[in-house]
Amino acid sequence: MQRRQRVAKLVVGVFLAGTVVAAAETHQEFRFRVHRRASVSVANQFGPIWVKPSSGKEVIVTAVLHSDKVEVDHTHSFNRVSIVSHLLSGADAESGRVEYQVLVPADANVTLISATGPLRAERLHGDVILEGNTANVDVRDLSGGHVHIKTLNGPVTLTNVTDGHVEITSVGGDVALNAVNGPLIHVNSTSGRIVYDGDFGGGGEYSLMTHTGDIEATAPSYASIDVMASSTQGKVENDFLLQPTHASFAAKAGTAFAGTMGKAASSVRLLSFSGKIHLKKR
Amino acid sequence: MTCEEFRRVLPELEGDQHTVEQDEHLKDCSSCSGLISDLRAISAEARLLAGDQEPSPRVWNAIAIALRQEGLIRDPQAPALLSGSRLRDWRFGWLRPVTIALVAGAALLLVVERVPRRTQVAQQVATSSAPILKTAVGITQDSAINADELQLLNLVASRAPALRAGYESDLRAVNAYIRDAETSVRENPNDAIAQQYLMNAYEQRAMVYEMAINRALP
Repeated sequence: MQRRQRVAKLVVGVFLAGTVVAAAETHQEFRFRVHRRASVSVANQFGPIWVKPSSGKEVIVTAVLHSDKVEVDHTHSFNRVSIVSHLLSGADAESGRVEYQVLVPADANVTLISATGPLRAERLHGDVILEGNTANVDVRDLSGGHVHIKTLNGPVTLTNVTDGHVEITSVGGDVALNAVNGPLIHVNSTSGRIVYDGDFGGGGEYSLMTHTGDIEATAPSYASIDVMASSTQGKVENDFLLQPTHASFAAKAGTAFAGTMGKAASSVRLLSFSGKIHLKKR
Repeated sequence: MTCEEFRRVLPELEGDQHTVEQDEHLKDCSSCSGLISDLRAISAEARLLAGDQEPSPRVWNAIAIALRQEGLIRDPQAPALLSGSRLRDWRFGWLRPVTIALVAGAALLLVVERVPRRTQVAQQVATSSAPILKTAVGITQDSAINADELQLLNLVASRAPALRAGYESDLRAVNAYIRDAETSVRENPNDAIAQQYLMNAYEQRAMVYEMAINRALP
């Protein structure tokens, strides 16, 4: 009997605690009618932003504010929607936190900025710009639009991104590209590890460069590439049998290689100043 | 008056001259009054630095020549760069020295990046830009933080103390990158890969500067 009472008290306590936390949070929803190729930007100092496609020509923003020390400013002019988390006096990373879920027309151009993130965009066709300090960036199922990502130390993962310009600049965040192809794929990192797993398709220019990070690129045996890899102070490894090609540098065994496979439709440059490079066969 | 309305008129404010409405808002809003006080402090500092950080006319000439050759600008006046639409949103006058450095760096990167694809004349411009690049963006000899960067870090810390350490670590990393890339270019001046490393390293530093400035703004 006593045990039942203790359990009942515990349940009530947990419920009350949950109610208090929920009471401190504020849910807000904003809706904006937009036209084709709308521009939508969300700037949030602390907290996640998740963008997904909506079914109609409407931008729907759901915001969960963690305290009254932050408010959501919004502007809507013609085809542009801007959402900004406005930190009030005394706000910190916890009290200034806002969680956004944003539904946009799939063809919208989207800009997301958050210091802490995470940032996530999926199933869109417009241009996507994502920027964060330590924000974990996750982009998936995008096609046709340009993808520009900047992070300081936040890891970046792209999955199934096709037919757009992809430009990623990160100081220390690891970058993972899975099934990513297009006319231009450019990764610039200082110390992050770069991992590519795909077919280097689309007749594009692939440039993966890092200062001290390692690069691992995995491709199928049918990949059609003109590849060049070089590590000034590190080692390179290659699992493919490449056709020799004229290279602008002296291909030193163990530190650089160059050659072609198939019709050499895509250009692939793998460059690390002091990291290891490995071109792997899937 | 709301914060948004106040910030809209902020660029037009001169010294301590405010309307009654603006004064009332500043009394009630610690965020905007803090912003005003920060801007004044930064503006005072920026005035002292402006002379040191302004790139020489040689820098502007090189940029203008190269951009005209690229067909990117037609106006022969290099300063037109600063009145372009890209800078229309840069509302804070005190950011000018920083803007100048960033624009000069970015434009020079553009110049150098296009060298392999362009004419010999453009190559000469790019070659002559190499020492200018150093002047414009202030290359460090090692990964240490220079005085300007220290100032930037302090600015970040004044707004977001928790972010300072991260920015400092990132600046040290990109400065080390620049140091290695510079050494590589010095040793192999005709090596396209070495040049690419240097451009990427500068792009990294420009990004860190840009993000730090953005975070330092309220």
